Amino acid sequence: MKATRVDRIATFFFWILGMISVGILFIIVGEIFARGLFIALKPSFFLGKPEAMKEGGGILPMIVSSIYLAVLTLLISLPLSLGAAIYLAEYSRGGKITRFIRFCADSLSSLPSIVFGLFGLAIFVVRLGWGYCLISGAFTLALLNLPTLMRSAEESLKSVPKTYREASLSLGASRWTTVRQVVVPSSLPGIITGTVLSIGRIMGESAALIFTTGTFIRKIPLNPFQTAAPLAVNIWYTQSEALVPDYRNIVNGGAAFLLLMVLVVNLVARYIGKFYRRRKGLS
Amino acid sequence: MKSNLEVENLIVEKDKEVGKEMAKLGNKIEIRDLSMYYDSFKVLENITMSIPCRSIVALIGPSGCGKSSLLRCINRMNDLIPNSKVEGEILLDGENIYNPSCEVIELRRRVGMVFQKPNPFPKSVYDNVSFGPQVMGIDNKKEMDEIVEASLKKAALWDEVKDKLRTSALSLSGGQQQRLCIARALAVQPEVILFDEPCSALDPVATQKIEDLLIELKENYTIVIVTHNMQQAARISDITAFLLMEVQGEPGRLIEYSDTNKIFTNPSDYRTERYITGRFG
Repeated sequence: MKATRVDRIATFFFWILGMISVGILFIIVGEIFARGLFIALKPSFFLGKPEAMKEGGGILPMIVSSIYLAVLTLLISLPLSLGAAIYLAEYSRGGKITRFIRFCADSLSSLPSIVFGLFGLAIFVVRLGWGYCLISGAFTLALLNLPTLMRSAEESLKSVPKTYREASLSLGASRWTTVRQVVVPSSLPGIITGTVLSIGRIMGESAALIFTTGTFIRKIPLNPFQTAAPLAVNIWYTQSEALVPDYRNIVNGGAAFLLLMVLVVNLVARYIGKFYRRRKGLS
Repeated sequence: MKSNLEVENLIVEKDKEVGKEMAKLGNKIEIRDLSMYYDSFKVLENITMSIPCRSIVALIGPSGCGKSSLLRCINRMNDLIPNSKVEGEILLDGENIYNPSCEVIELRRRVGMVFQKPNPFPKSVYDNVSFGPQVMGIDNKKEMDEIVEASLKKAALWDEVKDKLRTSALSLSGGQQQRLCIARALAVQPEVILFDEPCSALDPVATQKIEDLLIELKENYTIVIVTHNMQQAARISDITAFLLMEVQGEPGRLIEYSDTNKIFTNPSDYRTERYITGRFG
């Protein structure tokens, strides 16, 4: 009798704790949407040109910057991290080198992003002379993104049962063929989910980009060597520096739009993962 | 790309070669003085046995005696385990597979393997069977269809899956999955097939089917099977090897190796007798 009561209280207690995290998410999302959704969804806002001094500016170049930046960053970091993950999960034999690589990756992922920003400024913007542009930002974010992407890819590769590898090798497939035709395809849902989730992080990143991409533009950037202003950076800039009288509206609308983009990306990630798993008959 | 006829000719030629080897040696595989280590731990010691062409050899013994390790030496699957080491030699058609010049990939093509738990790839039935040939470089659709059909027929699975070649292999039953794995192994035209307790995850009906299949396959392939089930060894094998690790921590040794009939009716070693009468293990 007593045990069941304790159990019930404990269950209720943990339910409350679970609900708190859900509640916090809802409060944040609700607050931001309440303030900005009606602005964000106005075509004149998300398809409009930004204004430097007047009110009524839009954020289209910023949205394009964010998407462009995400694509460029993934183009750089995905091959690198996937390659490193394949090495760690499939080839390395777990010796000192492997531990050292993991240690470096973990250290890299715990560096504050502003440090990456300053590094990007010193190397890509100044030393290499690329200036404030998308490509400087993409390289900086690729460094930031590399360890997380690598670890998530490594985890997906490792979750592929050993029996698949054995089956492939026992059929006379080389290690490389096994990786390419069995291991990577089987871990694709996980790799894709990890990649798409990292798009969300790229879109939300600001500190690493303040000194590398630029903070305000009026034209849509087409050339990757052009100055850009990803939405998250622009929100910070608008809130703290901008001269437009309606800066509050722009910040609220921008935040709501950014949240929408990240939300869509996360939903897409979940959907792709599920879709692949179902197609492979894994669930 | 080789045409069908050429491939067939190749097979015929290979059969002739195998025939010659048989006449010369009589044995497909000869294991000589084989010892195996994981790190510094000796798993197997001084194993010597000859496996005749087109026969079924069963490896029996209590858990941990090194049966599976020995089996995995024959196609060098143990290479995958870091710090494993092998001493002695294993001759396949008279050639030592542990020679540095031995191509492991080609070896594994010639010596196929079926595992304890059915392990089809998360691909379609067709893609599972075509995986091996495709890796070998066969890319003619018609030829591949023929290989897939022939392999599935040999594995006694064709009638059950011919209408669902494109569905996921994971939707098949356990017994069907295991026969699919056998078909997959057959598709690369191996000479030897190693079975590592292939029925331990299957129900009696599925087990019966696999056993019938093994006896059929014996006509064309040399088969080595590890089994926990002594009745199974008695039912299907021609020769039985009894391995035993007498003291925990010591390596497994080959206690007795002779005709299955003899092992199960009149074993020469008292330990074999005690094991098969169920007094330990």
